[in-house]
Amino acid sequence: MTKRKSSSILIFIFLLVVLAVYLSPLVLMVFGSFKSYSEIMSNVLSVPQSFSMKNFEGVFTSMNYPKSFLNTLIVTVIGVVGIVIISSMAGYKLSRVKTRYSYILFLFCIMPMMIPFQSFMITLVKIARQMGLIGNLYGLGIIYWGLGAPLSIFLYHGFVKSIPRELEECAMLDGCSPLRMFVSIIFPMLKPVTASVIVVNAMWIWNDFLLPLLIIGSSESSKTLQLAAYGFMGQYKMEWQNIMAGAILIIIPALIIYFIFQKNIVKGMVAGAVKG
Amino acid sequence: MNKALKKKTSHVLEFLGFTMPAAIAILLFVGIPFLMCIYYSFRKWNGIQKGSSFIGIKNYIRAFTNDSTFLDSIAYTLLYAVLAVIFINVLALFLSVILEQSKVFAKGLFRAAFYIPNIISLIIIGFVWKFIFSRAFEAIYSSTGAALFGWSWLGEPKLAVASTVLVTVWQALGFYMLIYVAGLQSVPDDVLEAATIDGAGKVRRFFSVILPLIVPSLTVCTFYSIASSLKMFELIFTLTGGGPGSATTSVALDIYNTAFNSNQYGYGSAKSVILFILVAVITILQVTVFKEREVEA
Repeated sequence: MTKRKSSSILIFIFLLVVLAVYLSPLVLMVFGSFKSYSEIMSNVLSVPQSFSMKNFEGVFTSMNYPKSFLNTLIVTVIGVVGIVIISSMAGYKLSRVKTRYSYILFLFCIMPMMIPFQSFMITLVKIARQMGLIGNLYGLGIIYWGLGAPLSIFLYHGFVKSIPRELEECAMLDGCSPLRMFVSIIFPMLKPVTASVIVVNAMWIWNDFLLPLLIIGSSESSKTLQLAAYGFMGQYKMEWQNIMAGAILIIIPALIIYFIFQKNIVKGMVAGAVKG
Repeated sequence: MNKALKKKTSHVLEFLGFTMPAAIAILLFVGIPFLMCIYYSFRKWNGIQKGSSFIGIKNYIRAFTNDSTFLDSIAYTLLYAVLAVIFINVLALFLSVILEQSKVFAKGLFRAAFYIPNIISLIIIGFVWKFIFSRAFEAIYSSTGAALFGWSWLGEPKLAVASTVLVTVWQALGFYMLIYVAGLQSVPDDVLEAATIDGAGKVRRFFSVILPLIVPSLTVCTFYSIASSLKMFELIFTLTGGGPGSATTSVALDIYNTAFNSNQYGYGSAKSVILFILVAVITILQVTVFKEREVEA
């Protein structure tokens, strides 16, 4: 018994050391964000002399943080809401209707999970330009519908199989229309999957960089947080204290989403692991 | 109109109404662009002028015979992927087993803490690690004198490759640990107890009992790590910018440069198709090999 206890203490200490080393870059980032220019150049590793918010205030304005935050929020909400609506409807129907055509359409819908984004980004930009989706946030959000739907349909499709059909048959007999039945009976039952779909897609869209770069590009007023970060950090070259403060400002919203939805993330990410 | 036909039409309409919004979105933003990419891969197209001209497989021939940057990017991407996949999976599995098999206090907290880097966007990760490799390593070197920290981690081609792998593993580890922990939790206790009673030690128990039972998790994790490392773009974009020289230019970054920096859209499309084939062949092979090894408890 004592042997077992001491070995588990050893493992605990081992894990603690590993974790400390593992998270040390982030600790240095936090320290750095509070330092002045001369302090970060001379004392990289030490605890900051004072925890002044000066860097954060400067970065907050020069990155146009509130505007970029709002832009990212708009894109994420448009993207996620659209994905949830179209994928839940399609996933449900494709799972219930068992004909050859339905199966072919299902395969078509999930096939894009196998295609790397970089394999079609060049022509995606061309199409987006022809459709007038370039340079605005709504266009960006709408494009995410097509990119996020395959995985989400796959998740909904799998989950619908576990829902008994009796309820729908009853509703049908009561003269309920298909759309109304979906909205008031089926969709509420899909809640666990919807939570995962929301988390997986929200984290992805929030942190995505390449698609906004291609669609929004240098349009100053529509920059998302990631684009603003990129522009800002390139411009400040070696002013590390500002870069670290900017990094923290961008990480915080994602961190908050993570802690709120932590349980769903575990489920959703494991499910999302299928995404290729 | 007879009743049966009417009912059938309404069923078809209902089916289309539910499925078409998603199908159209996927068609517009993935299907058509992808087919167009294949089409343009056989054409000369600079993206600015309207027209493009058919040039057969010249783009493909050029990619494989007359473009050392592209060939280097394939070599780098494969090397990077192999190293990243091995380190990610071995380390994630190792840490998950330690976490799950021991009676450690605050397991959940450890898992959550390891997951934090995964929440941060790769763009930010690139900048933070640039700081670590340059400023922090320098400071550690001058205070401890450990040669390791004195090396030019982003300036030497070979070390830069190692740096990209290191940061990738660091960022991804927590995510893969989640999947492995879920897999380990599904291993039934009675099987483990039986193995212990039969006299199997910890190591033996891992290789003969646990490992065969968590092959499904291994399949998912290897698949996902292969697919995502073969198309790595964002981290490299800010961490090394593909350099020094083109030592860390991945295929995805090369496609981006070809199309959007040198305006060779047709040629970039051909490279895109090659990337697709590369990812498809490798992942299909991997999944087939791993699927054969799955057993049930």
